[in-house]
Amino acid sequence: MRSADYLIKRILFAIVTVFIAITLNFVLFRAVPGDAVDALRCRQCSPQFKEQVRQELGLDESRWEQYKLYVTDLLHGDLGTSLRSQKEVRGELIEPLKNTLPMIALGTLFAIVFGTITGVISAWRRDTVLDKTGLWTSLAFYSMPTQWLGLLMVLFVAGALGLPTSGIEDPTLGVLGDASTWDVMVDRLRHMILPALTLGLVLYGDYALITRSALLETLGEDYVLTARAKGLSNWAIVRKHGLRNALLPITTLIALSLGFIIGGSITIEYVFSYPGIGLETVEAIDQRDWPVLQAIFLLLTFSVILFNLVADLLYVKLDPRVVEA
Amino acid sequence: MRKRALLVIAVMALVVAVPACGGDGDSAEDTGTGKTDGTPVKGGILRVGSINYIDSLNPFNYIESQAYQAMLMIYPQLVQYAQGDDGLVIEGDWAESWETSPDGKDWAFKLKPGGEWSDGTPLTANDAAWTINTIIEYAAGPTAVAAPALAHVVSAEATDENSLVIHYDAPVGNVLAQLEQLFIVPQHVWEPLVGANGKNLKTFHPEQNLPVVSAGAYTIKEYEKKGTTVFIPWEGYYGEPSNAEAVTLTYFTNSDSMISELRQGNLDWVDQVPFNAVKVLEEDDNLVVNKVPGAETTNITWNSNPRKPKNRELLDPQVKKALSMCVDRERIIEVVFNGYASLVESLVGHIAGPMENPNLGPLEYDCEAGNQMLDDLGYERGSDGTRIAPATTGENAQEAHPMEYEVITPTSTDFNVDRSFEIVQEGFAEAGVKLTQKVGGDTTASYALETDDNCDGEASTGYATFDMAMWDWVGYIDPDFMLSVVTKGQWCSWSDTGWDNPEYDEMYLRQGTLVNPEERKQLVWEMQQMIYDNFVYTQLTNHEYIDAHSDKWAGIQTDLNAYSKEYWTSPYMVE
Repeated sequence: MRSADYLIKRILFAIVTVFIAITLNFVLFRAVPGDAVDALRCRQCSPQFKEQVRQELGLDESRWEQYKLYVTDLLHGDLGTSLRSQKEVRGELIEPLKNTLPMIALGTLFAIVFGTITGVISAWRRDTVLDKTGLWTSLAFYSMPTQWLGLLMVLFVAGALGLPTSGIEDPTLGVLGDASTWDVMVDRLRHMILPALTLGLVLYGDYALITRSALLETLGEDYVLTARAKGLSNWAIVRKHGLRNALLPITTLIALSLGFIIGGSITIEYVFSYPGIGLETVEAIDQRDWPVLQAIFLLLTFSVILFNLVADLLYVKLDPRVVEA
Repeated sequence: MRKRALLVIAVMALVVAVPACGGDGDSAEDTGTGKTDGTPVKGGILRVGSINYIDSLNPFNYIESQAYQAMLMIYPQLVQYAQGDDGLVIEGDWAESWETSPDGKDWAFKLKPGGEWSDGTPLTANDAAWTINTIIEYAAGPTAVAAPALAHVVSAEATDENSLVIHYDAPVGNVLAQLEQLFIVPQHVWEPLVGANGKNLKTFHPEQNLPVVSAGAYTIKEYEKKGTTVFIPWEGYYGEPSNAEAVTLTYFTNSDSMISELRQGNLDWVDQVPFNAVKVLEEDDNLVVNKVPGAETTNITWNSNPRKPKNRELLDPQVKKALSMCVDRERIIEVVFNGYASLVESLVGHIAGPMENPNLGPLEYDCEAGNQMLDDLGYERGSDGTRIAPATTGENAQEAHPMEYEVITPTSTDFNVDRSFEIVQEGFAEAGVKLTQKVGGDTTASYALETDDNCDGEASTGYATFDMAMWDWVGYIDPDFMLSVVTKGQWCSWSDTGWDNPEYDEMYLRQGTLVNPEERKQLVWEMQQMIYDNFVYTQLTNHEYIDAHSDKWAGIQTDLNAYSKEYWTSPYMVE
């Protein structure tokens, strides 16, 4: 199979998956008894109000008509209207996303860098104190419940480092005058550090363990033995032969985790009152804001599919054999 | 009002005869009553942290205590509470003075001149008259939430820009205490919303239409429901201006974070300290912890709607009493409130002082006796130990069924309601009754679960599906409001039980007209007895209100919480 055929196949597969996800997302929210408006909870939710909302959402139409409407709206980028705020869902999610993505990026970057380094060192220095220290540290962080680690950060790290533990900005910033862009950026970064570090440490364990495992497997291959017989130094073997071949599972892990961490940030954002997509999800669940929830689920699904596709595409570069397979 | 999670006020002080206690922190000069020796410095930003959020700035549609606080900061009130020699006393807020007609039916208020709404419109008595008349007109629907404060009011009129007369249909004994709960809204903003039926008065969200037009001590610069709301002193305010240059109120999803922020110096004041954090804060040399008797009571809320279609055995006060006798309330006090609470029997709570009926109960913790009562009532245990409610006949017949019920718990309580539920669940299990927790979401969502979709007081619909809830009320010094929440008139507004008792409703109306304090007290006691005997609620605890602040700030009057604008305007920085 040519690379182009492989790529087209993967992209088509992703598109089909997206449509299946869209359909499942549609079915999921309509499979339960009643409809979204039945689940709506508010003090002014009289039967008349609910009937009006039902009509606005098209829930008085047949399922098939609803599905067509849903897909058509999606293709136009219309995610519906929030039942809570009566504003467009798309607009409602932009701000939380803008808050969540840099935090996730920072945490993931931390995890990739330090996790990979730890994994490489552990594998390179197998069965030494370095390896055991790295291994147990990774296992410890990997095993910790995210929210618990977050609380430890709040209780023991925040004070020591003088970092804020809540929200995304200093409540006093700009209150009595305009804050400079630099001040805002520094403030945002300070608020982002602890949640990002929490996420980073949990992912760190994951990355370190996978890297170590993948590298150890590679280092046991015949071609590594050959390299060793040729007199290459240990580090050269790791760098030129081991790490490159171990990249496949590491890439897979990164792609998969990137897809899932948006959802996984819910507990972190709750602990740190961080106004991102996780906290928005909690809020939407609390208030039975079905259009927002549906949009968030769709977003999470898309992100998983997208990053899987990215991983598939990277495989071609990292290991051309996958095209042949 | 309730904080109910409900309503309002977060707390408070015991009033009248019970002076606030406090100053448990190391900074001994602050007593929680605002008296301090520090050198005042004007300015600064007062950064306040809270685990309660501002759900609305609409005085006709809100639930959370923090919403009441915010409205207290931005809307004019006629009167408010202030520190007196022996406790809290009513004083003027916007009203400068007042007098009553000889027959006690007309109250004339002289208003402080010079006030201005934040959009530049003058604040006049017309605003007050329009607000009052509008609340009365739509009291059965859109403005029902605010209506209890205006019981027996016939109309209001502005005799000139600074003079207001309120006409009552009878002499009323608690006029000022009632009016203290009334927020005046700008006529020019709200009048266009009335339309044909006034519905928009309830659905309007001022917080979504910034800047909110206000004329109180502050205006709102920024609003974020579950983030930070920024209050700036309003220069057109008719009263003493704020010492702080700004007040920021930040909502925390996690109380540990809030406490950490306070200890780090990123917050100046935490308005409700989690009970498990009190000791830690008291040991912090840089913080001052104040404790005052609280207004918040916790309870088991029973669906008491007489037309309730299912599990009707729970309408029997004897059944509810028997089950309640298996609840170890002392354990709740120790485990949930770390000892910072006391037992309570009346819905009005200890905050009502002498108006709290001291002769209720007390409800004994005696599960053996409770089980015996259930046995005697014919609720036998099934093979798995769960009691069976026998089949009944007649209009509301129901089949025999195991006594298994759901308990709604909101996520927005300021105490650990999950742990509290577990203790109640254990107690009920001993009585052969299975409880499961139904997390109802935030305050709004949970309340909607209680009232149902078809809630309509006039049609007597609603309150058809839920059995029990566990929640709290935050009462007032005057018991009127708390007594009102179980009336039929508050169905779909403040009522969370669906109780429908015409005799009680008549007593409620009558108590407001008794001008003789002793007579009123007797009737109010009788009403509490009626609520108690019917087990509309099982009262659990009345907990203390505990706040903590940095020693860089003083002038904090903990016992004015939710009772006065001064609570917010008086704090100042000290050198």
